[in-house]
Amino acid sequence: MKGAESGKDDYSEYDTPHLIMTYTALLSLAILRDDFERLNKPGILKLVRSCQRADGSFTSLPNGGDSDLRQVYCAFAISSILDDWSGIDVGSAVKYIQRCSNYEGGYGQSPGGEALGGTTYCALASLYLALSQSTSSVSPHLSPEERTRTIRWLLQNQTPVGGFSGRTNKVPDACYCFWAGASLHILGASEYVNVTALASFLSKCQFKFGGIAKAPEDTPDPYHTYMAVAALALYPPEGADKSYNLPKLNALWNTTEDTAEWIRSHIQRRS
Amino acid sequence: MHGVKRVQYSKEVLEARKQRDQARLKDYLALYEQVFQKRKNKDFSQDAFDSTTNILRMNPELYTIWNYRRNVMTNGIFPASDPSKVNDILSDDLSLTFALLKEHPKVYWIWSHRMWCLEHVPDGPTDDQLKGWKTTNWKKELFVVEKMLDADARNFMAWNYRRYILGNMDPPPPPSAELTYTTKKIEANFSNFSAWHQRSRVLMSLWKEGKLDEKTSKQTEFELVQNAMYTDPDDQSVWIYHAWLIDAGEDTALLRREITSIQELLDEQPDSKCTVYGVACPIQEAHFGEAFGQLGP
Ligand SMILES: [Zn+2]
Repeated sequence: MKGAESGKDDYSEYDTPHLIMTYTALLSLAILRDDFERLNKPGILKLVRSCQRADGSFTSLPNGGDSDLRQVYCAFAISSILDDWSGIDVGSAVKYIQRCSNYEGGYGQSPGGEALGGTTYCALASLYLALSQSTSSVSPHLSPEERTRTIRWLLQNQTPVGGFSGRTNKVPDACYCFWAGASLHILGASEYVNVTALASFLSKCQFKFGGIAKAPEDTPDPYHTYMAVAALALYPPEGADKSYNLPKLNALWNTTEDTAEWIRSHIQRRS
Repeated sequence: MHGVKRVQYSKEVLEARKQRDQARLKDYLALYEQVFQKRKNKDFSQDAFDSTTNILRMNPELYTIWNYRRNVMTNGIFPASDPSKVNDILSDDLSLTFALLKEHPKVYWIWSHRMWCLEHVPDGPTDDQLKGWKTTNWKKELFVVEKMLDADARNFMAWNYRRYILGNMDPPPPPSAELTYTTKKIEANFSNFSAWHQRSRVLMSLWKEGKLDEKTSKQTEFELVQNAMYTDPDDQSVWIYHAWLIDAGEDTALLRREITSIQELLDEQPDSKCTVYGVACPIQEAHFGEAFGQLGP
């Protein structure tokens, strides 16, 4: 927002701008159907640019903070939402993503890390978002072997009770039903997901007074509730009743298609 | 909270909790106001430092205040302290963040503040022992991370942090030490893929640096994995590690040997899922196909 750009003062009364918060703020504004008249696009691109490091990764804040695949995803999502990739060196960022890939088939949070469902989503969504950028090649920087191996690892994490776990040999968790489910969706491998078992697991995570928990018998929270609903939007069970009629989801931005269309018509087509 | 089951509370208990939370929130907001004001005034005093301690204890997610705390240290406190005092202050911060980590093991800002502290330990205590303080602090760090992994053997932030410590320790620990540590972790629970993963990383770097002969050490690994396979053939960790050992599957003799041993396991335990996890692994599929063909009916 233009008013909040207080120039060089590090000590404004606000927190330092944050890459992940910028992504969620853009989505929140779109969900609220803001007209984006006051959006300071150059300011956001400046933030993105100042967060990228020499190895291609991004820090959360311009002056540091943590740096792994989550920030890469946010930088890519922001650039594709703004339809302006001038804040990113895509080539070096893609190299960083590839360094996070490991032999299990998933992507670690940072190079050398154990494969995690959440950061695997971040990697894949970033690679596919970069495709929308006109100058990039048509391939998503994934070899057929890598794609197969990733699909295999993700599917192995759909546990016998139907929910996905986030890592090899972990218990299933409602949020990973989205991270892994959306990853498979992005890879065009939705057909291999056992949708009936998935819905059965998520319905068991539902709390009788509302909300969805990470696992059956656990305490519900807004995060797991949203992620579970988003997973069901991608994978409605066969022969489901009306209550499963959910809006179409855009798996790359993790928002509804309606909100994605709002972004396209109010941010992208404006400039 | 993760893993905390729902419990029924009485009205009185809930009311008392609400009162307590409201009082806490009031304190927090007042402190928040105060700290942000100090930050705006570029206050780098001891008093400012103490207020950041107080608010970070209440909310360690306040990244702006972690940054401010570091600014107070580098601009206000360090210039007024001798190296020994700086070392004490940083040691105190390492203790503070250890206490916070026990309560919040997955808050990034706490882990990254520790890294900053370690990287700012001054030279000393004497000219002959320039690395003395550094070595003591980094060694202690390995102990801290082990405590964190004792509490949750799959905390991936702790594992990432462990790799950071091992990679930056000066002098580095002996190469075999980390292999011994992963053996201990795997033996405690071989479903713990985080430990297998760490082992694969350690081996890869030892092979690359020529500190271990790849061929002989792989043999030992195949034996380790074989034991685990027989203990629980349905365990995914073991199969992923096995697939990693086989690598791209270029060694046909090795493949043939492994297929034979999996076949033996299958004959013994026909219902096991090793066919799913092991033999059918797509990367090796083509090569297994060849090898199977060579085995012939
Ligand atoms: Zn979760």
